[in-house]
Amino acid sequence: MNNSKYLLHLFCLCLIQITILDNIQLHSFVHINIYPLAILIMPYKIKKVTVLFTAFLLGLVLDMANNTVGIHIAASTFVAYIRPKMLQLTSNREQVEDIPGTGQHKSFGWFLKYLFLSLLAFHTVLILAEAFSFTNFSITLLRILCSTVVSCFFVLLYYFIALKKKQE
Amino acid sequence: MKNIIKLILRYHFTIIFVLLEFVAFSLIVEHNRYQRTIFSTYTSTLFFNLSSQIKEIKEYFGLQQENQRLVEENTILKNKIEILIGRLEEVPEWDSLPLAPNYYSYSGKAINATYNKTKNYITLNRGSDEGILQEMAVTSRDGVVGIIQNVSNHHSIVLPLINTNLRVSAKIRKNGYYGSLQWDGKDYRYSYLNDIPFHVNVEQGDTIVTSGFTSIFPEGEVIGFVETVDRETANFLTIKVALATDFRKLSDVYIIGHRRKEEKRELETVAYDQMQNNE
Repeated sequence: MNNSKYLLHLFCLCLIQITILDNIQLHSFVHINIYPLAILIMPYKIKKVTVLFTAFLLGLVLDMANNTVGIHIAASTFVAYIRPKMLQLTSNREQVEDIPGTGQHKSFGWFLKYLFLSLLAFHTVLILAEAFSFTNFSITLLRILCSTVVSCFFVLLYYFIALKKKQE
Repeated sequence: MKNIIKLILRYHFTIIFVLLEFVAFSLIVEHNRYQRTIFSTYTSTLFFNLSSQIKEIKEYFGLQQENQRLVEENTILKNKIEILIGRLEEVPEWDSLPLAPNYYSYSGKAINATYNKTKNYITLNRGSDEGILQEMAVTSRDGVVGIIQNVSNHHSIVLPLINTNLRVSAKIRKNGYYGSLQWDGKDYRYSYLNDIPFHVNVEQGDTIVTSGFTSIFPEGEVIGFVETVDRETANFLTIKVALATDFRKLSDVYIIGHRRKEEKRELETVAYDQMQNNE
């Protein structure tokens, strides 16, 4: 995946997130966030520090759109920070070369694992930053899990519609 | 130095991450009201606990003197009780008289105090859970301390005499002329009594007490003693008062409430309104 294509995806994800998903109110427990996918599918050859700053800016944009200063920044920066470790943890060298996991390897299982763990980390930081306390921790935990699962579902929708088709 | 630079280069990714997260969380605390409230609650609780601990340790060293003073105060109080009992015997059937006291008091402890600013505050270890309300009076065994300004569940903030925002109605004990006492923000040992007419005879060492007009303080609580008397303007005296309370050594205080404050205030409001209507 080259850089111009990646920028297109970044733009689309932001647009979908801000215009559609932020207006869907499923339940007070569920936050739907698909924009972390933009951080996850960033080409591997980009420098780690660049990823970090891009994530920071991305979070800033989302925060402005949602009127929640700082919460999205904290979460998306965190995802960018754990991205290299997450890649090492879940995959081997060949898969890392093609991050969306849609190329020749077709390792959907790996992508799902990578996606789920990253989104879990993302929502953990997001919802803890929003709740900002450890009282009612079971409810916070439930919110994290629900948000992660639902967000995973929407990310996979985007994955099958936009990413996978183009690569084949 | 070389090693430090090496270290920074090696961990630059983590360092940048930590910096960015720091920025994010400071933004969160700064701009979201809910998070800021929680953050400030935590920090202020921490601060209160810390200052109580330090105060406890400090007090341990002053126990000897404290005991001595309490014993002295006890002696004085006991003597007073003896005198009062003597007087009560002169009154026939004294227990049938409706003698509900107007004022009631709680004990408390100053756990944090400032004395070197122009707007000084004192923190007490009593709050609304112990029955403390706003505008209660605070005194020490030496004299008047101040007025309760804010109350939380377990702590309260006192506006002391050494705060330029506080004006207290005070009078000279020997002749009853009253004026208002206000601090000039300079020396924590002295305050100034204004609005006393120039013909009043005031001498060094005269006792200044509360007037009891505002019904916050009981009448006759000692504020301080006259230090110098100046006639700065044509008609009024400026009296420098040495405060009886030493704000640097403040520890045990009494918090005094007035049972009929609301009643008195309502009556005064009604009278004031009528006066307004008549005009």
